[in-house]
Amino acid sequence: MKKKYLIAIIIFIVLLVIQVAVIPRISIGYFTPDLILILLVYYTLIRGQLYGALLGGLFGLIFDLASGGLLGVTMFSKTLAGFIAGYFYNENKIDTNVSSLNFPLIVFLAAFIDSFFSGFLSGMEEFGVIYILFERSMFPAIYTAVISLAVVLFNPGRKFL
Amino acid sequence: MVRFFRNLLENFREYITLITLLIISLFLISLNNKPGIENFRSYAFGTFAYVTSGIDSFLGLFKPEEEIIQLKKENARLMLELNKLRNHALENSDLRRLLALSDTSDYPLLTASIISKLPSTLDGNYIINRGDSDNVQNGMPVINDKGLIGIIINTAKNFSIVRTLQNAKLNIAVTNQRSGVDGILSWDGQRLVIKHIPTTFDMRLGDRIETSEFSSIFPPSIPVGVIEEKETEVSGLLSNIFVNPYADIPSIQYLFVLQVLESKQVDSLKMSLMQRDK
Repeated sequence: MKKKYLIAIIIFIVLLVIQVAVIPRISIGYFTPDLILILLVYYTLIRGQLYGALLGGLFGLIFDLASGGLLGVTMFSKTLAGFIAGYFYNENKIDTNVSSLNFPLIVFLAAFIDSFFSGFLSGMEEFGVIYILFERSMFPAIYTAVISLAVVLFNPGRKFL
Repeated sequence: MVRFFRNLLENFREYITLITLLIISLFLISLNNKPGIENFRSYAFGTFAYVTSGIDSFLGLFKPEEEIIQLKKENARLMLELNKLRNHALENSDLRRLLALSDTSDYPLLTASIISKLPSTLDGNYIINRGDSDNVQNGMPVINDKGLIGIIINTAKNFSIVRTLQNAKLNIAVTNQRSGVDGILSWDGQRLVIKHIPTTFDMRLGDRIETSEFSSIFPPSIPVGVIEEKETEVSGLLSNIFVNPYADIPSIQYLFVLQVLESKQVDSLKMSLMQRDK
């Protein structure tokens, strides 16, 4: 039990450094892919909803501390994203979920929820729901989902191509 | 009863975990402005920034040479000088003498490099490689060779967080350099805008916008941008003025901390008033 969290956290720390130091350099306008979310969804689809929510909360809290942002915002959104991704967990379909086009679709949904709530809690509500839905949620979620295709492509057991 | 709760915990443990985590998150959000939490955040991001700056140093192999940085610094200094000269040209010399404007030609500029931009960019915050040890303090303006970028909002020993113009929480008192019309500049999520300016006020496309002398957080006459669009509200009485910033904020890598703190006296007066109002 402890080991499975430990491995996820070690991978997370590596991705966190890349996310904060490198990823902004490949941003398109204001949109950046969220590697941490891809990792979160991947582990959630393998381990389940409870694990996803807990890992999301932990990832979010560490991210808030490391990025200097508002404490609690990413924790909230990542917890929710992990929980939602957990609805797609199925013991009998783990391989299918992480090695087919299902994966980017689930990443898209989780990223959308993550961006929406982090935008909302960051004080963007004054811009209106439509703005947060499209500018701050939809486009970053698409970008993250596209990047998450790499997980499928580099997965030896991929179910397409 | 115990059995009921045990069943409840077993059947709904995912939901109970979710709700608990969300409540903890909301509780943490509510604590953000507490001094203790602010210090903890400074310490946390400052510690992690060491790792980030290591990566940044590695990637810095592909960055411009020191000489170019020096030239950019000189450019920034000259930009401030030039703007001041523009102002002087617009002022009446007698009035200037009467007001006995002080000479503020020595701008203490501290070169800094961005080591991280908040990936979400929702907040429009950058982390730079200068902090308390370089005498950087909260409230110091940040510029580049084109114009204003933002303000220091949090410092750690060797790192600081800059809140950029592209952050909805930063509102700046600005003035039209040509006509002297004042307004409040803010970020609407897509563009910089000065809202609710009466249509009769003299604001033309192409006018230069700079920080106002009424600003209590920025020194006056720092170039901000140029008016690119004027949009009249439905009532026809007020306009929204859209400003194109001089600095290309999303793509900057180097910047300068202007090591001046604006109007401490005004701030202390404001503080006294606030304390009196309590």
